[in-house]
Amino acid sequence: MEVVRLRVNGDERVCGVPAHYTLLETLRYGLGLTGSKQGCDKGDCGACTVIMDGRAILSCITPVWEAEGREVRTVEGLAEGTEPHPVQDEFDLNGAAQCGFCTPGILCSSVALLDRNPAPTREEIRAALAGNLCRCTGYAKIYDAVEAAATRLGGEVRGPEPDEPAPEATPVERVGA
Amino acid sequence: MLAEFGTDAMPIAGGTDLMPNMKHRLFTPAHVVALKGIRAMRGIEVVEGPGAGTGTRAPGTGTALRIGALETLADVAANPLVRHHFPGLAAAAGLVAGPQLRNMGTIGGNVCLDTRCTYYNQTRFWRSALGYCLKKDGTVCHVTGVGKKCVAAHSADTPPNLIALGANLTLAGPHGERVMDASDFFVTDGIWNTRRAPDEIVTGVTIPIARNRRSAYGKLRQRNSIDFPLLSVAVVGDFGETGTVKRLTGVVSALGARPRVLAGWSDLAVGGQLDGATIDALAARAHAQCRPLDNLIVDAEWRRAMVPVYVRRALEELTVS
Amino acid sequence: MSSRDAAGRVGARDVARRATGPDARETVRPGDALSTIGRPMRKVDGLAKATGRARYTDDIRLPGMLHGKILRSPHPHARILAIDTSRAEALEGVHAVVTGRDMPTRYGIIPWTPDEYPLCVDRVRYIGDGVAAVAAVDEDTAIAALDLIDVAYEELPAYLDPHEAIAADSGPYIHEPRKPGWNGNVTKVVNLEFGDVEAGLGDSHVVVEGDYFFEGTTHTPIEPHCAIGLAEGNGKLTVWSATQVPHYLHRELARVLEVDPAQVRVIQPPVGGAFGGKSEPFDLEFCVARLSMMTGRPVKILYTREEVFYSHRGRHPFHMRYRTGASRDGMLTSVDADIVMDGGAYASFGLVTTYYAGQLLTAPYRMPAYRFHSTRAYTNKPACGPKRGHGSVQPRFAFEVQLDRIAEKLDIDPIELRRRNFIGANTRTVNDLRITSNGFLECLDEVERASAWKRKHRRLPFGRGVGVAGSTYITGTNYPIYPNDMPQSGIQLQVDRSGRVAVFSGASEIGQGVDSMVAYIVAEELGVPLDHVRVLAGDTDFTPVDLGAYSSRVTFMLGNACIDAARKLKAQVQEAVAAEWGVKPREVLLAGGLAVRAGDTGTSMPVRDAFNLAESAVGTLGATGWYNTPKDVHGDYRGATIGASPAFSFTAHVAEVEVDVETGFVTVDRIWIAHDCGRALNPVLVAGQMEGSAYMGFAEALMEEQIFKSEDQGRVGLHNAPSLLDYRIPTSLDTPALESLIVESIDPEGPYGAKEAGEGPLHPSIPAIANAIYDAVGVRMDSLPFSPPRVWRALRSVGR
Ligand SMILES: Cc1cc2nc3c(=O)[nH]c(=O)nc-3n(C[C@H](O)[C@H](O)[C@H](O)COP(=O)(O)OP(=O)(O)OC[C@H]3O[C@@H](n4cnc5c(N)ncnc54)[C@H](O)[C@@H]3O)c2cc1C
Ligand code: SF4
Ligand code: FES
Ligand code: FES
Repeated sequence: MEVVRLRVNGDERVCGVPAHYTLLETLRYGLGLTGSKQGCDKGDCGACTVIMDGRAILSCITPVWEAEGREVRTVEGLAEGTEPHPVQDEFDLNGAAQCGFCTPGILCSSVALLDRNPAPTREEIRAALAGNLCRCTGYAKIYDAVEAAATRLGGEVRGPEPDEPAPEATPVERVGA
Repeated sequence: MLAEFGTDAMPIAGGTDLMPNMKHRLFTPAHVVALKGIRAMRGIEVVEGPGAGTGTRAPGTGTALRIGALETLADVAANPLVRHHFPGLAAAAGLVAGPQLRNMGTIGGNVCLDTRCTYYNQTRFWRSALGYCLKKDGTVCHVTGVGKKCVAAHSADTPPNLIALGANLTLAGPHGERVMDASDFFVTDGIWNTRRAPDEIVTGVTIPIARNRRSAYGKLRQRNSIDFPLLSVAVVGDFGETGTVKRLTGVVSALGARPRVLAGWSDLAVGGQLDGATIDALAARAHAQCRPLDNLIVDAEWRRAMVPVYVRRALEELTVS
Repeated sequence: MSSRDAAGRVGARDVARRATGPDARETVRPGDALSTIGRPMRKVDGLAKATGRARYTDDIRLPGMLHGKILRSPHPHARILAIDTSRAEALEGVHAVVTGRDMPTRYGIIPWTPDEYPLCVDRVRYIGDGVAAVAAVDEDTAIAALDLIDVAYEELPAYLDPHEAIAADSGPYIHEPRKPGWNGNVTKVVNLEFGDVEAGLGDSHVVVEGDYFFEGTTHTPIEPHCAIGLAEGNGKLTVWSATQVPHYLHRELARVLEVDPAQVRVIQPPVGGAFGGKSEPFDLEFCVARLSMMTGRPVKILYTREEVFYSHRGRHPFHMRYRTGASRDGMLTSVDADIVMDGGAYASFGLVTTYYAGQLLTAPYRMPAYRFHSTRAYTNKPACGPKRGHGSVQPRFAFEVQLDRIAEKLDIDPIELRRRNFIGANTRTVNDLRITSNGFLECLDEVERASAWKRKHRRLPFGRGVGVAGSTYITGTNYPIYPNDMPQSGIQLQVDRSGRVAVFSGASEIGQGVDSMVAYIVAEELGVPLDHVRVLAGDTDFTPVDLGAYSSRVTFMLGNACIDAARKLKAQVQEAVAAEWGVKPREVLLAGGLAVRAGDTGTSMPVRDAFNLAESAVGTLGATGWYNTPKDVHGDYRGATIGASPAFSFTAHVAEVEVDVETGFVTVDRIWIAHDCGRALNPVLVAGQMEGSAYMGFAEALMEEQIFKSEDQGRVGLHNAPSLLDYRIPTSLDTPALESLIVESIDPEGPYGAKEAGEGPLHPSIPAIANAIYDAVGVRMDSLPFSPPRVWRALRSVGR
C-alpha cells in the first residue's frame, strides 16, 4: 500500500492504493471516479484518457505516482457546476455517445484540443481523436459535436428556432444499479 | 539509483513502452526509477562549439541541436527548430503511436524502446500457451525456428532519423558520461539491442545542423494512427547549390533488431542529381539489402516489397525543397 | 442552451429524402401529426453518458466485494485428467475456488444445441476455454491463486480447418456425436431448395461462378464483459451483467445453478457496446453467481481485453461458392450456394447461423429458383456466434459481388441491374418469407444521386472507383429462442399524481437508444413532456420480459408494446376527461402537456389534471402493453420459421475508393448509406446506427481478422493477436466520411411505421467496397479482408 496525494478536478485527494496501481485504477477504484473507463488496460484504446497538466494522456499506463503534483482532470471535472461543458452538451445533442463507453476519453481529448486550439478544423479534430477508439459511431457524430462545441465556445451560440419544441433530457435509471 | 538496484531496477520516462511490457510481465523490475524529475534531461536548444556535431559521418559546422531525452514526442514534433532543421525527425516523432502517447512518450524512451515481436508482446497467459520464446522465459525463437538468436524488430520511429542525421547520444552512468554515435548505439541482438548498460541512461541527443541538408521519413503501417511501423525509412541528403548530391544516407528499420544503414548509396548518388533514374537505382539497392522476417503479424513478403516503394517516396520528398 | 437549433440542424442534414417524395421532410403526410416522433431529440441517457455519471457494470462496487478470475486452458484440445485446487485454496486471501464439476449442467443459447458448461468439466476445446475460477480479496490475489491450480491435461489433436473437421471419419471429435456414427465435428447441416435451380441455371444467358472467403471478425466492444454476483442468505441471487439478453441469462442461471428462477434477479446496467458479443450467457456470469453462493459475498469478474477475444462469438469465417444465373436483360434466374462455416468450439447461435446463411439472401431481389447448402463445423478455436448482421453479412458480400460481375458481363449499369430485379413491396420471397414495406428502390435512387454515380462509375481515372451494393435484414426474429406463445416484448407504464410517467422496460440499452425510444413514444402518446418520463430498465425483478437486444428486434417489438400500453392508458384518461367535459372520448387529445378538446383549444387542462381525473375514476393508473409477432409470415417447410420476421429493412450503399497500386492500400473516401428504416423515430439516432454500421462493415472489409496461429507458427489454435493494438479496428484517421440518407417506407406494422436500422446498414459496405476496388483497378477481391498485402498480391497476380 502506498499513500498518494493527487489533485483531481480541483480537489486535493489522498488515498491509499497498492504500489503498482495506475492512475486509472486509483481514480476508479481508489477515489470512486468511475467516469474514466478501461477498455484495454495497456495503452491501445484511449478509453482511459484524462487531462494532465492540460494534455490528454492515457491513465491506464500512467503509474499513479507520476500524477502526484500534477493537475488531473477527468470527465467528472469538465462541467462548470451544474452546467455541462459545451462539448458534453453537444455530444448529447448530436448523438455522439451511443454506448458511451469511449465517450469520457473522447471528451477529454476534445477538451484538451479545444483548450489549445479553440477553432480546430475537421482534420485537426480527426487527428486529435486518433488515439481514441470508438466502436459505435463511426466518429461522424463525434466530429459534429466537437465542431458545434467549438462554435459555441467561440461565442456563436445559435438562437433557438421558433417552431421546434425544446427536447429536454430526462434521467434514465437502471433499477438497482 | 540504477547502479544501486542493479538489474532489479529500470528507468522509466513516459512509461508508454515499459508499462505495457510490465503488464505483460516481460519486465518485472523490483524498482522503477523515474527520470521525469531530472531537469538536465529537458530542453531543445541550439548548442555551439566542440561537442556539437562530433558525429563521425557528419562533420557539421559546429552547430547542433540538443534535445533532452525527456522531451516528449509531441514537443519534438511541434518544435520549430526541429521542424526547420530536421523535418524527417519531426515527421517521425509526429507519427509515433497516437496523440496521447506522444504527449507521454519521450524521445529518450523511443531511442531505448524494447524490440517487438508477435511472439513476445503478449500476455503471460498467451506466452505460456505458446511455450514462451528465447527473448523471455523460453529457449526457442519461433521466428527462425532455432534457439540461437532473437530477431525481434526494432520498432521505434525516431532512431532511423537520428542515425541518418549523424546524431550523438549522451549516456550517463555510474562511471560518468559518454557520447556515442547513434549509428553505433544499436546491435543485432533482439534481446537487448543497444550498447546501453542497464545502469546507464540516455540524457540527450545532439544532432548536427548543416545548411542545405534535407530529410524525410516514411512509415509503413496499416492504420493511420496508433500502429508501430512495419517498415520505416529515413533519408537525409546534403545538396550543393545546383542540386547536386553531396552526401546521401538512408536508414531502414522495423525489419530486424537494429536499424540498417543502407550500403552503397554514395557511389550511386553523390556528385549527380537526385533524378528519377537515380532514385530508382537507390531504391533497388535498398530492396536487395532488406529481408524482413515473420517477426510481426504482417506478410513479410509484402513488407519487403514495400522497401523500394517507401525508399523512393522518401527520396522524392527530398527533391521537393 | 442551444438544444433546439442544434438538434434541428442535425436532423436537417441527416434526413435527406423520404420514400414518399423528394422533400417529404417538409411535407406533412395525412395522419402524421406527430410532435416527438420523427424529430431530433436528446437521448434520455445522453448527458449521463457525457458527464461520466452513467454507471456501467465495472463502475459498481458492493460492500465486501471479492474479485474473481478464471483459469483458462493453454491447450486447443485436451482432456482434463485432474484438477487440484488445494494449493490455491490455501492461499491467504482466497475465499473460494470453483471448477467445472461444481456446475455440471450443459447449457447453450439455442435449446437444441446445449454443448457448453460454465467451466469445462472433462474437455477443453480452445486456447482460452475456462477451467476453474477463483474469488479472492483482490485481483492480485486471484491472479496469484490461478498459478496455484494444477490441471493435468491429455492433449488431443486439434482441428483448425473446418473442411478437415467435416472430413474426419473417426474420433476424438470436438463434441460427442449426437447419434452414433455421426460426425461430432458438425454442428448443423442445412439443405434447402426452392424452385428448380439446375433448370434455371441451364436456361440462363449468363452463369457466374465464384468462390469467396469471409474471414472471421469479432465485435470488439470497448467495454470488456463484466459481471457481479450477489447471493444473499435468503436464497436470493442477483447478477449484474453487461449482457444483451437479461431474460435468457435469467433462465440459464436458474437452470444451470439449480436455483428457483423466482429467486434470481438479473440487472443489466448500461452496456458499453455489444454488437452481438454479449447476447448469450458467458462463463463469468455463472462463476460470479456460484462463487457468491459459496462465499456469501459479492463477487465481480471483469474480463481482460484478451479474454474478450477468447469469449468471441463473432462473425463466422465462411467459405462460399456461388453460381448465379441471369437472363440476357439481367433478370436473375437461379442462385446456388454452397457454404462451409467455421464455427469454433461451441454451437452458440450456430444452428440459426446455418439457416441465416441461406435464408436471408432472398430479398431485395426476386429469385425464381434458389438453393443453399450450408454446413457449420466445429473447430478448436473460440466459438463464433452472432455479430451485427448475423449470418447474412458473409453471403451478402459474395452475392453482391456476383451481381456486379453479372452486370459487367451483360454491360448493364449495376444500379440498373439491381432495380430490374427488385422484388417489390407486399410480396413473398422464393423461400416464402413475407415482405411488407420496401423502400429499396428509393435507397438505390438516393445513393445514385448523392454519389453522382453516373458521372463516376467506370469513368474515374485508374486507381479510383465506385461500387454499389444492396441488402435486406430482418426486424427481429419471428420466434423466440425457446418455443413459447408468450409475448416477445412487454412493457409497463405507471403514472404518478405529479404527471410523471414511469416506463418499466425489460429491454437492453446497449447504446442503440432503446431507453430513449420508449420515452419518445410515451411522450408522443400521452402528450407529456419528455422530462416527465422516467425509464426504468433492465432489471428482471421489476420489468416485464423483453427477449433481448438482438436481431434488430427492439424498436419494432418493444416500440409496439409501448404504443399498446400507452394507448390503453390514454383511453382511460380520455374517458375520464370526456366525462368531465361532456364530450366523446375521441375528442380529447393529449398533446403538448395538455388535454385539449379537438377543434376547441379553449377547452383544455394540464395533462397532470387529466391523469388525476382518470385516477379518481378508475383507480391507480397504469397499463401493460405487449407485442407478439404475426404467425402467417413464412412457409411451412422445415426451417421456414428461421429468417421469418415481421418486417424487413433495406439498404443500398455506394462506396468511393482510391487504390494505391504500388502498395495495395485502399482508402475509402466516402460511403453513401441509404437505408429504409420504415420511419426514423429519431433521425439522429437512426443516422448514428447507419454510420456505426457502415463503419463496422468498412472495418471488416479493410482490416479485421480474428485468426489463429498454426502449428508451424508456434502453436496451433493460439489467437494471433488478442489485443486492440494488433486486432486493428479503424481509428478516426482511417474511417471514411459517412453520409446517411434516411429512407422511410412507413411499415404498416411497425411502431409509427418504424423497422430497424442497427444491423441492415452494415451489409452493403463490404461488397460496395469490393466492387469499388474492381471499378478502380480491375481486380476482384473475393477474399476478406482487403488489407494492403492482400490487395497488393491480387494486383500482382494480374500483373499490375
Ligand atoms: C499503443 C502503442 C502504440 C505505439 N506506437 C509506437 C509507434 O508507432 N512508434 C514508436 O516508436 N513507438 C510506439 N509506441 C511505443 C512508445 O510509446 C514510444 O516508443 C515512446 O517514445 C517510448 O517512450 P517512453 O518515454 O514512454 O518510454 P518508457 O516506456 O519510459 O521507456 C522505454 C524503455 O526505455 C527505457 N528508458 C526510457 N527512457 C530512458 C532513458 N532516458 N535512458 C535509458 N533508458 C530509458 C526504459 O527503461 C524502457 O525500457 C507505442 C506504444 C503503445 C502503447
Ligand atoms: S524473434 Fe524469436 S526470440 Fe525474439 S521475441 Fe520473437 S520469437 Fe522470441
Ligand atoms: S484503457 Fe487505457 S488505452 Fe485502453
Ligand atoms: S459510443 Fe460506444 S464505443 Fe464510442
